[in-house]
Amino acid sequence: MNKSLLWRGLAIAAVVLLSVLSAYPLKDNLKLGLDLRGGIHLVLQVETEDAVRSETDKDLDRMVAELVDGGAAGATAERTGDNTFVIHGVGPQKDDDIDKTVEDFLVGWSWQRRGDDLAFRMTQVNLNEIRQLAVVQALETIRNRIDTFGVTEPVIQRQGERRIVVQLPGVDDPERVKALIKNTAFLEFRIVDYPFRGGAAASAEEIVANYGGSLPDHLEIKSQILRDDADQETGRLYYAVEKRNAITGRDLRNARPGLGNFNQPVVNFYLTHEGGIKFGEVTGANIDKGLAIVLDGNVVSAPNINGQIFDSGIIEGSFTQQEVEDLSTVLRSGALPAGITYLEERTVGPSLGQDSIRRGLRAGVLGFGLVVLAMMVYYKLSGINAVVALLLNIVLIFGALAYFGATLTLPGIAGIVLIIGMAVDANVLVFERIREELRKGRTVRSSIESGFGKALSTVLDANITTLIAALFLFQFGTGPIRGFAVTLSVGILASLFTALFVSRWIFDLLLSRRRKVERLSI
Amino acid sequence: MQFFRDTKIDFMRYRRIGASVSAVLLAVALALVVTGDGLNFGIDFVGGTQLTVKFSTPPQIDQLRDLMNASGIEDVSIQRFGDLVDNEAIIKTPLAEGSEEGSRVQIVDAIRGLYGTGSGRLDVNEQGVQALASFLTELDPDQLRALDEAQASRHYRDVAAAVGEVKREIGLLTSWDQLSGVAELSLEAAEALRQNADLGSFTVVGAENVGPQIGSELRQRGLMAVILALFGMLLYIWLRFELRYGIGALVAVTHDVFVCLGLFALAGLEFNVTTIAGFLTLVGYSVNDTVVVFDRVRENLRQNRRGSLLEIMNQSLNQTLSRTVLTSGTTLLVVGCLLFLGGDVLRGFAFILTVGVIVGTYSSIYIASPFALLWEHWFGAEARSKRRSK
Repeated sequence: MNKSLLWRGLAIAAVVLLSVLSAYPLKDNLKLGLDLRGGIHLVLQVETEDAVRSETDKDLDRMVAELVDGGAAGATAERTGDNTFVIHGVGPQKDDDIDKTVEDFLVGWSWQRRGDDLAFRMTQVNLNEIRQLAVVQALETIRNRIDTFGVTEPVIQRQGERRIVVQLPGVDDPERVKALIKNTAFLEFRIVDYPFRGGAAASAEEIVANYGGSLPDHLEIKSQILRDDADQETGRLYYAVEKRNAITGRDLRNARPGLGNFNQPVVNFYLTHEGGIKFGEVTGANIDKGLAIVLDGNVVSAPNINGQIFDSGIIEGSFTQQEVEDLSTVLRSGALPAGITYLEERTVGPSLGQDSIRRGLRAGVLGFGLVVLAMMVYYKLSGINAVVALLLNIVLIFGALAYFGATLTLPGIAGIVLIIGMAVDANVLVFERIREELRKGRTVRSSIESGFGKALSTVLDANITTLIAALFLFQFGTGPIRGFAVTLSVGILASLFTALFVSRWIFDLLLSRRRKVERLSI
Repeated sequence: MQFFRDTKIDFMRYRRIGASVSAVLLAVALALVVTGDGLNFGIDFVGGTQLTVKFSTPPQIDQLRDLMNASGIEDVSIQRFGDLVDNEAIIKTPLAEGSEEGSRVQIVDAIRGLYGTGSGRLDVNEQGVQALASFLTELDPDQLRALDEAQASRHYRDVAAAVGEVKREIGLLTSWDQLSGVAELSLEAAEALRQNADLGSFTVVGAENVGPQIGSELRQRGLMAVILALFGMLLYIWLRFELRYGIGALVAVTHDVFVCLGLFALAGLEFNVTTIAGFLTLVGYSVNDTVVVFDRVRENLRQNRRGSLLEIMNQSLNQTLSRTVLTSGTTLLVVGCLLFLGGDVLRGFAFILTVGVIVGTYSSIYIASPFALLWEHWFGAEARSKRRSK
């Protein structure tokens, strides 16, 4: 065996070995797409203008407060758009003060005077920053919430301006995931003013009557919905609670599901340092009164304050275990900075994925068998050469997929099946050329030589066109389709290697054994 | 074995017949796409909700439809899916005004009316792994919560996942005994499930919801991808060969795409994202086939300067004929396997490629080369010099 043959043989062995090592065992090394292993794929949009609007509201309040403090008592304001507001009734003598206030507190705003009106507009830089922050914050919050599912390899990724892609392999309950992500869970603790020492009123009228026909300004009525075991509403309890909240969910440091005195599911919560001080003051001043725990505007329970509470407590209500788990998660993960809209949702049950794999495999195996048969019948012994190349091709595809951590999807499987049929093309081009050369009366050796040489440019041109198509496909595609583009491209590159390099080597190896070769089985 | 040996078929003689046949094909294809039912767009492109539901008995399609209509779900389409023995159906509804999140919940509620257990207890078939985990944690049959709450919920999550693994294999549980092989599920836990949960007669194995925004985006991007790929091909062939070949290939491949589109409409298969992948692959395949012929034409032109382009094209087509037939053949074998064995999800994709390989092979011979010739005739060096001398 000459040196070149040996080296080429070693190179081929190295490539094959590397492929086998990275792909074996296939079950552990191949990353399956959601469409094959089952799971949830969500695309959601962060309504960033929500965040812009609330920032505008906050700054508007600040501006008015500063103006009123500075003596412009008649100043009123209205928000005119998501990122604009107008202040009425402020004369030009205040311009210097306004400039100063803007410089101190309203960085990121520009303003213009129109008579006695001031038109404020958020600067583009500030606007972009708020939007950006809203998405980043939402991403973080969602990640925290998803963490509790204990999903292995979740994908939570930003996509473009304000979209977030969430992929949860193995999760099959989209409604629960969606609710958990979107959950605002705005939690407040408020002091109950009536009934004074615990209990609840049976109707709102009873409460109003108690206050002599009209509710004091600092109070409002909140209700608690009572449900039976089948989750049907059976009645309501009413409370007059203070409009101001004692503490909110933001003051929480941690929240965990737990068990109450009667083994019912409850949420244990722990307050931040500042939250604890605030809560201690309020509870200390209101011992024996009721404390309404208000979630998204509804009272979930209103226990009595038995003593001063500083750092932790229990949220009781008629919760199920699942509700308690989700509530703890949402309280722990913090609030979403803006609303969420779901744009796309795909759930693949695990059995559907299994079924797809089975069918793809079946089609692939039969296809492979038929192609092998065709090559053997048509090219006889040289057909074996092509079949070896094809086998290697498949090994290389799986090796490359595993090595680069690419994801195998159902269209990806279709791509591999397709490649089995298309990969032999390079062999066919070469073999046809060799036959032509043989027909011209050349020796076997020189026919093989010039067959490979002449077919080279055709093989390259023909395969590059397919690669171009695969490139656009990758650009266009979402997950599964990208998987197809990847297997197609990898398969084509592998077929170039096997048909041009490996097949050639096999021919050369066979020829090197014998001095004189009269006939080639092709 | 050899199909064709030194053939001397005068392909180019039939080029006018070929062009006429193609013109008719194209007209029919376009008519199929534009008129009648046209293309059957899937929810990928028009938005909507699609559920794949597996039942324990053959689904009563008509009853299901009545049920959906009765609960106010509009324009619902229900079809059997997969092998008959799988008892699966696809339920599809278009995008409902004002509800971007789709009608999954309503559809499942409606099915529950006919197939649900009606007991209000947890249905292991219908609920997901997470719900089962919470349910088990609450029941706590293994008496772990008193010791350590967090460990208990981890434990039940593992148990639920193991049960999910069985569901993955079977699809729909029909008897509690099917869970007896689950090592994680203790006898107590199995008993607790038996006592407190049910096995309903349906399960949602797949659900998709696509909002209007994503739908229109995918439509645009799909169209752009196909158009850009076509021009990418033109550009590549222009650079590697000459413009006339690029034009020939472009005309041929566009022809293939439209003919396939027409047949696709005729077959009534669903046009979705995977379909676009099929068309792009077809673009690649069809050009690949054409390029092999052109490569030979170029080579022959270099060697034989006397023959006319027409003669050389004929010669090249004959020389590459064996290869064309063999490669098309092996590709047809595999896409045929996909078409018949690959399952419903890949059917549209396999259909396009099956038709595409046949049409693509034909067009490489009867469209691409004649058009390259025609371009030469109109705009080539000879035509230019003739025009100048006039």
